Amino acid sequence: MQALGTPVDGDSPEAQAARRIAAAAPGGARDAEAELYRLLAPRARRFGLRHLRDAHAAADLMQHVMTLTIEQLRGGQMREPERVLSFVLGACRLTVMDQRRGERRREELLQRYADALPIADLQIAPRLDHARVADCLERLPERERSVLVMTFFDDQPSEAVGQQLGCSAGNVRVIRHRGIDKLRRCVDPGRRAS
Amino acid sequence: MSATPSNHPTIEALLDYWLDDSDAAAIEAIDAHLMQCEPCGQALDDLVALGDGVRAAFRSGAVSAMASDAFLKRVVGRGVQVREYRLARNGSVNCTVAPEDELLVAHLETPLQGVERLDAMVTLSFEADVQHRLHDVPFDPQAGEVLWLPKFGLIRNAPAHTAEVTLLSVDAGGAHELGRYTFHHQPWPGR
Repeated sequence: MQALGTPVDGDSPEAQAARRIAAAAPGGARDAEAELYRLLAPRARRFGLRHLRDAHAAADLMQHVMTLTIEQLRGGQMREPERVLSFVLGACRLTVMDQRRGERRREELLQRYADALPIADLQIAPRLDHARVADCLERLPERERSVLVMTFFDDQPSEAVGQQLGCSAGNVRVIRHRGIDKLRRCVDPGRRAS
Repeated sequence: MSATPSNHPTIEALLDYWLDDSDAAAIEAIDAHLMQCEPCGQALDDLVALGDGVRAAFRSGAVSAMASDAFLKRVVGRGVQVREYRLARNGSVNCTVAPEDELLVAHLETPLQGVERLDAMVTLSFEADVQHRLHDVPFDPQAGEVLWLPKFGLIRNAPAHTAEVTLLSVDAGGAHELGRYTFHHQPWPGR
């Protein structure tokens, strides 16, 4: 695998789909567009969730980035279609920066390209049996359960949880990791320890 | 940032990334990795779903926790309807859970300076001869209190009963009682 943090496009399925879109007449490679959307839309959405912390904003980012990408490929404006992963990553970053600046360009683009959105059924994050999670949480030692509750109630970093418990961030990270590892294996018994 | 030899981020690194416990370089590297690696993306989705499950279990009153006043302020800041009881050392209180309550909190006041390890013993009057021992509960030595967040989903539907919580300081010399707290629970009228 390429070094972490270096997007490689090459002959990946994403690059192949991008080349097919770029080589066809505008809108003439619907299958490739749907394939590219299926592959990359979940990743753009994940990026949005991580950096915007809002499901609706992440969905908007995903739509914006994917329509922009496909429009660029259709119009021949992406000079190296095989570098589509780098393009999408850059577009995600710019969109997050735009959103943080409160710009309206995202909405304008959404309206402009609304008809170009490919239709795809996205697999969103898996749903868990909450009763099972609760049962597994109750089996954890008190300290691990409390740290997980304080962490995930609103996704707090270790430093904030440590300040609230009078202990170090490093200590919280150790407890958190131990707790999450046990919880994962309990919720999904087929899973091995990380 | 930690990564396995094949350069996929570890679960711990993904969790740090999600919770903003990574530095800017690590975040940038994982952003780029996730753009090309769907299995790692799905591993992150699983972690996020697990976090959602923890949050849902806590919000439904299905799990207990020991927390801090700072955490409680965060919870209240999110608009959660909290019922609080404050008990002095060796104190008691009449308590209940209203239909609109979303969280039950007991402030158990006791000096914690010098305490190495804290355990709690919980007994319920409707469980004869049963003691629930909570080992090594988290606490802030400066706080002068322990916040107990019981399973209010269970308490909401419980009959009238008495619960007793005993805080124990544990060290090489054994366990020493710090305080005993008694809750006389009555169901909400009409339930």
